[in-house]
Amino acid sequence: MAENSRKDPDQLTETTTRLHGWLELAVPFFSFGGIVVAFFFLGQGNIPAMRVAASGCIIASFILAYLAWIRPKKDIVALTTPLYAVILFVLPSELIPDLILPILYAVSLTILLVRLKYRFGEPGTAVSLGKEFGGSLKTYIDRTGSFLNKASPDTAHRATLAFVQFAQGDYGKVARLSGTVSMPGEDTGHEQGLTRAFTIVREHAELLDKSLPRPFTYTVFKPEDADILANPMPSDPDQDHEFYLSLDNALLLLYSVAWTASQRDRPHLLACQAFAQKLMNTK
Amino acid sequence: MKIGKVDVKVSIVAVAVFVFFTIFLLYASLYSPEVRSQLIWMIPALFMLLVIPMALNYMSRSQYDNLEPIYEAEAKPVRIKMINESMVGKPVRIEGVVERVYFQFLNRPQYLIADRSGEISVKMFTSTKEDIKVNDVVEVLGQVIRRYVVTGDPVINCISIRKIEKS
Repeated sequence: MAENSRKDPDQLTETTTRLHGWLELAVPFFSFGGIVVAFFFLGQGNIPAMRVAASGCIIASFILAYLAWIRPKKDIVALTTPLYAVILFVLPSELIPDLILPILYAVSLTILLVRLKYRFGEPGTAVSLGKEFGGSLKTYIDRTGSFLNKASPDTAHRATLAFVQFAQGDYGKVARLSGTVSMPGEDTGHEQGLTRAFTIVREHAELLDKSLPRPFTYTVFKPEDADILANPMPSDPDQDHEFYLSLDNALLLLYSVAWTASQRDRPHLLACQAFAQKLMNTK
Repeated sequence: MKIGKVDVKVSIVAVAVFVFFTIFLLYASLYSPEVRSQLIWMIPALFMLLVIPMALNYMSRSQYDNLEPIYEAEAKPVRIKMINESMVGKPVRIEGVVERVYFQFLNRPQYLIADRSGEISVKMFTSTKEDIKVNDVVEVLGQVIRRYVVTGDPVINCISIRKIEKS
């Protein structure tokens, strides 16, 4: 169990990577292998053995569909190949069974496999599939955890509410959330930064709720907040960039304090991990 | 072509199918007396190949036109980056540049719209009022849905797309 907790969920294990590699080889192996075996039996006059070719294609379809399923970006064409395999090779048909259809089908599966590999990326990790917590977001939370772990459970819970409701687009609710921050105990100097984060998120939520543009004056983070921000604030005078980057940083700061100081809210935060990870990738 | 207040468009595919079967029917009726005897129902059926797509387009376009004021009132203007799985079902308004256009010829256009924060797919299940091209700056009103209904990344089910600046 201790070994499992040290595993990085953002990385596929070597075993899993090797398994995926074998499964990718299995697709042409089963589809064309079935055809080769069918030719062998055909040469011996065993006509019904052409079902071997169809069976190979069906097995290869399911393997391809599994490989498509485990990727974060789904390929609907590869996912539906088992359905087509069943329609073409299992359901009763007036077609005379021969090897032309399995050969064409096997070629199609191979093309789909290549397309899946190069257009739909690598199989998902536990992080990219939202099952575990990791990536650059985890790195940020680990970095800021020591500054924010003194936040009160009430503050952390309100941070959870603010983040989750903002992610859901319930801007009116976020705008009505109170921004009072409480960090009892040792003063880490970041209470003001956290208060600014709540204010920034509330300001943006009010603007979004009323469909208003960027105002002339708005709250931003101060230089002393730099060590708890996910993305450095820009030095250029582009006000739009500063305005939106402040929001991204404020949301991530709320996510961090919620994750660090409110264990019971972690399932809700995990559900929004993809959104938080997108905010981390702000340029 | 306008029917009432609705601008009805027939896809090029429907027109091509109509033209193909018209030529086929003409050829068949020239050489086959049996076909000539059936023209009384074949000709109306041929025109149905155009009328049905037009009627469907009229119904879908008028429904979208009725939805537009509702979305105008409810949709919040958001950056593309803010759109995520948690917002599925929410009406949104985005502005951006058209980077790619797909399936316009099928009257089911799909666009890839980008703003400074990111890009997102916008799918429309009827024809658009305006002719939208790559590099047009557009405003999109729509609802956040999953790409494959129950799974996939968030995309926008477009109710209205209009140019807001000359490209």
